[in-house]
Amino acid sequence: MEDKTKDPLGMESMVNTWTQSMNDIMGTMSQMWSAYQQAHQSGQQDKKNPGNDTMAAMTAALKNWQTIGSAMAAPESMASLFKGTHTMPEIFTSFAQVVMGSFSELQKKMSQSASRLGESVEAYSFEKIDENIFHVWTEIYEKEFQKFFQIPQLGLTREYQERINSMMDKFHLSQANQAEFLRLICLPFQRSMGVMQEKIAVLAETGELLDDSHEYYQMWIKILEGHFMTLFQTPEYIEALTRTISSSTNFFKAKNAVIEDMLKDLPIAQKSEMDDLSREVYELKRRIRRLEKEHYK
Amino acid sequence: MKQFKVPVDLIMSKMVDDVEKGHSQAQKASEVLLDRLETMIAQTPYEVVYQEDRVKLKHYKAKKNKEYKTPLLVVYALINRETMLDLQPGRSVVERFLAHDIDLYMIDWGYPTRKDRFLGLDDHINGYMDNIVDFIRKKNKVKKVNLMGICMGGTFCVIYSALHPEKVRNLITTVTPTNFETEKGLLHSWMKHIDVDSVVNTYGNLSGDIMNFGFLLLNPARLMIDKYVGFVEHMDKKIFVENFVRMEKWIFDSPDLPGEVFREFVTECYQKNKLIKSKLVVGGKHVDLKKITMPLLNIYGKYDHLVPPDACNQLTKKVGSKDTEDICLDTGHIGIYVSSKCQETFAPKIAAWLKARDKTTKKAKTKSRIAGKTMEVQKKSLAIAAASDMKNKTRVL
Repeated sequence: MEDKTKDPLGMESMVNTWTQSMNDIMGTMSQMWSAYQQAHQSGQQDKKNPGNDTMAAMTAALKNWQTIGSAMAAPESMASLFKGTHTMPEIFTSFAQVVMGSFSELQKKMSQSASRLGESVEAYSFEKIDENIFHVWTEIYEKEFQKFFQIPQLGLTREYQERINSMMDKFHLSQANQAEFLRLICLPFQRSMGVMQEKIAVLAETGELLDDSHEYYQMWIKILEGHFMTLFQTPEYIEALTRTISSSTNFFKAKNAVIEDMLKDLPIAQKSEMDDLSREVYELKRRIRRLEKEHYK
Repeated sequence: MKQFKVPVDLIMSKMVDDVEKGHSQAQKASEVLLDRLETMIAQTPYEVVYQEDRVKLKHYKAKKNKEYKTPLLVVYALINRETMLDLQPGRSVVERFLAHDIDLYMIDWGYPTRKDRFLGLDDHINGYMDNIVDFIRKKNKVKKVNLMGICMGGTFCVIYSALHPEKVRNLITTVTPTNFETEKGLLHSWMKHIDVDSVVNTYGNLSGDIMNFGFLLLNPARLMIDKYVGFVEHMDKKIFVENFVRMEKWIFDSPDLPGEVFREFVTECYQKNKLIKSKLVVGGKHVDLKKITMPLLNIYGKYDHLVPPDACNQLTKKVGSKDTEDICLDTGHIGIYVSSKCQETFAPKIAAWLKARDKTTKKAKTKSRIAGKTMEVQKKSLAIAAASDMKNKTRVL
């Protein structure tokens, strides 16, 4: 029982068995190799053969493996090794908890919107825009996953790694915001279809159904236009638009920084260098024009 | 449950008729589209008389002797191209002005590249525009020019007239935004929230493609769906197709907007609304609308969704001129220029308005001749004085 609580998966006993087997195999191989070496050397006693170095290296490697195997087989080594591995399932469990929590949040939102199925559509009304699933996903990303991309990097290439991480982070945010924005753009189509269906039902009830498809189209386009005009003036749309522009801009900037890192070693002028040059030329031209005007006054 | 009376038989027979009609229409449309189409724009002949960097000055010569002593300089916006004013024969503002014997000049702002991203309002107004105005004045031996601006070009003309009133005889502004504190236009509400510094610092110039997409987003139902449904319905008519393609050519011919201009225009105008309050500073110089003392004709569209009437109709109240007039036409932003009906109204109106204020008469010419002679005499005496000074200095040495 005690063994089972310490090692619920039986990993320790499995590794113990494996280590002992490896030890035995290495020992056997080492003996075979020594026998082979002796047989080979007896025929070439005084010659300096380059193959002897290889044989010596092989013997040393086999002896090292045997030493490692014996050390691993010791119970104290096994105990210290598995002390660390027991924490691994705990890490996975906490990670899974975070992920499952986020998915359950998403599912909750989806079921809320599903519960609204069957409700009649209010024409030209965009009061319940906050049911946007993509907005929920963006929030989950910002809360749970973004921090992984912001972990400080170490080593010689730390700056490049940080820029790549920053680009990945900005890419995800940009994608999420664009999805949100596109979803908003699709809302008027959704609402217009609902309003059209209700209008057609009313016409059918009164027996005044139109026989020209072009008139249905005109009706639909007018409703759609009205929905778009209403949507464009909502604060949610303006916020989504500015967030989309802002996140796309940030991603573009981060992407350019990574591309410049990649191009640094190539014999190509970079955008930032050309911009600096353009600025200098522009300022020189301005000075010349100003001086010309003053001179010829 | 109540049974709905749906005339299925009528709907089906209508559908059959529509299919037959559609089939013959498609056949005619393929003949039209595969035939030679006249879709060139900006066909009125002109001469490029001045060029500075990417900016060109086009000169349309009057057909007969110049009726107007003062030439007219038309300044278009930096968004889209000035070719809209000369879309096709019969629908051309340029042609109508030339028919009235106006000596017409037009600025072609060209296609900005990345190196132009640092050019701001000062460079365009006090730089390119001022040099062009000086060129026209020198070429035509006049002291002042007539200035006509379209949309953002009109805003440039207003700023220019406030900074250089001595060079402008008459000012005409058409669909020109000068007051940006209005929620009526979508552009106005969107521009207030944009982080323009971030956009300009990242992208440099504002891409023409992005601007096109932005303008389409202002009314996607009409501009992205209904417009093309209309095209499909009428694509068997050659003239319709030609006109449609010309408009498409113009509307999607969008140069990039120099970054600094975009930054300054959004920050100083859309977000802080400094122009109409006479608080704008361009090139270190204060733009005081009270300094606009020349006659002003201000035309705008009642159904303009880009520059609503509220954005245009405040200008005449803020300028120093006593001779001002507002005209509100029953049209949208570009209807004034592309609708032949509107052109029939507004082009003659402008011509007549300019004619009444074309002050360079024979009397004025004589005065300037005398003034010129006096100048010559003064110059000579100055030269003589300078020469004798030199002699004296030499003697002293």
